[in-house]
Amino acid sequence: MIPIRDDNPQVSVPWATYGLISCNAAAWIFLQGAGFGESFEPSICEYGLIPANILGDVGSVGKGTCEGFTDYGLLNVLTSMFMHGGWMHILGNMLFLWIFGGNVEDAMGPVRFVIFYILCGVAAAAAQVLSGPSSSIPMVGASGAIGGVMGGYLMIYPRVKVHILVPIFIIFWTFRVPAWAMLGYWIGLQLFEGMISLNSTGGGVAFWAHVGGFVAGALAVFVLKDDELLFDHPYHGWTDSEDPASIWDDPNNRQN
Amino acid sequence: MNIRPMDQSDIDDVVGVIDSHDEDDAEDARSDFGESGTETHWVAEVNGAVIGISGYRQVPETHGSGWISWTYVREDYCGKGIGKKLFQHTIEHAIEAGAQKLFIKVSNYVDDDGKSIYQNATKMYESFGFECEVTSKDFYDEGEDQHIYAKNLFPNLGTEEDKENEKPVVRFIDVYEIAETNGAYSFRWEVIKKSFFQKRSFTIDDLHVGLNAVKERGGRIVFLTFLSNLPLIHSPLASAGFKLVGQLTDYYEPGVHELHFVHRLEGL
Repeated sequence: MIPIRDDNPQVSVPWATYGLISCNAAAWIFLQGAGFGESFEPSICEYGLIPANILGDVGSVGKGTCEGFTDYGLLNVLTSMFMHGGWMHILGNMLFLWIFGGNVEDAMGPVRFVIFYILCGVAAAAAQVLSGPSSSIPMVGASGAIGGVMGGYLMIYPRVKVHILVPIFIIFWTFRVPAWAMLGYWIGLQLFEGMISLNSTGGGVAFWAHVGGFVAGALAVFVLKDDELLFDHPYHGWTDSEDPASIWDDPNNRQN
Repeated sequence: MNIRPMDQSDIDDVVGVIDSHDEDDAEDARSDFGESGTETHWVAEVNGAVIGISGYRQVPETHGSGWISWTYVREDYCGKGIGKKLFQHTIEHAIEAGAQKLFIKVSNYVDDDGKSIYQNATKMYESFGFECEVTSKDFYDEGEDQHIYAKNLFPNLGTEEDKENEKPVVRFIDVYEIAETNGAYSFRWEVIKKSFFQKRSFTIDDLHVGLNAVKERGGRIVFLTFLSNLPLIHSPLASAGFKLVGQLTDYYEPGVHELHFVHRLEGL
């Protein structure tokens, strides 16, 4: 299930979204060698987030495969958000950020959006660390922060139609579903897989980071959204937004 | 009779013509000509004497809206069609100069003898196709309304809809008594730069500060006008008790009107 676009008009140029995508791309190319070469693995260990490191548990479990690499402490929470584990990882993340980020940014402006994004990333990291505090597997990826963007999107634009691409062998199906269905399905899946992964010790997708980011985004958006900007979005909220000038249609609001 | 463009040397004569009807208007006209000049104004002459005046002023921030200004004929020449000719001349020049729509303010004042002194003028405007768009009740004084008549000079062009909305950060800075009125006030406002968590719209509290300031100064009523493409103004204005008076359609540009609001200071 791949979202390809949404029926939500972009009102302002989403500079922060462009900036974040550029930062991710730059980190991928310049710090991670685009997934090739010698810098790739060290980049994951150095800039990734190792839960055991954060909670000071490293003494008992060791750094595992990342033994001997520099540790930036809490700064790793931030740096891990811009690292990725492979081409599909970064392309998938950037696709979601591209589709959902712009409209969330429309609802709060670029400065607030960057704060929102980082906040969601931090919450995502916290959720993942708490779900496996003794893990020595480095966590990388923008998914947690982007999970937050999706949580925010769901709260603001639940009714907007999202175009979904479903590849079945060589046939590509596209259809439109409301954002609440697509994002509801997505978070349900993360929760389900997160539950399953609780007992596993291996690496893989950081489902709890997705859940943590999503919940943080769904909550933080209420603080950071700017209702005055949302007037430009005809499809925001669960009900049709009224023309603000229709308040004067009431005879009580007119000069007698 | 000869109609020619007015110049600075005509100001005294023109003020004299207006003064024969309305002393207050004569004073206002003198200061207006002093401040804004005599361009787009014309005088009617008979044997070298100025006996009538008409003209208009284009509103700079609009797409061709203009206000008809002082239109008077010396009392002893009234009823001879001179006012109509002057008025016709003004409209023709406004069309040539690219004006799209002309507006004129007129009072419904009735003097002590029960005579509606602007009735003839109003009839003349109507005969030229002007129609009343906004009536602000008790504008000049209790019982004296202001009618704003308008004529679309290019009625076939139609209006565009769905103009893009704007959200300037509007803040009120002062209140002032509207010229020629008794106790009707308005707010001065400015557009400022938005700070981080600041709201763009003014709030009900902001409006109450202004309304209370008017009340303290002994004001009777408050009139505000805003562009129609500012979606953030409606909720605070209605919540603070303002009523919609009406709109001057396409005043700023096709599809962007001037909305008129009133507050009678009751319940403050």
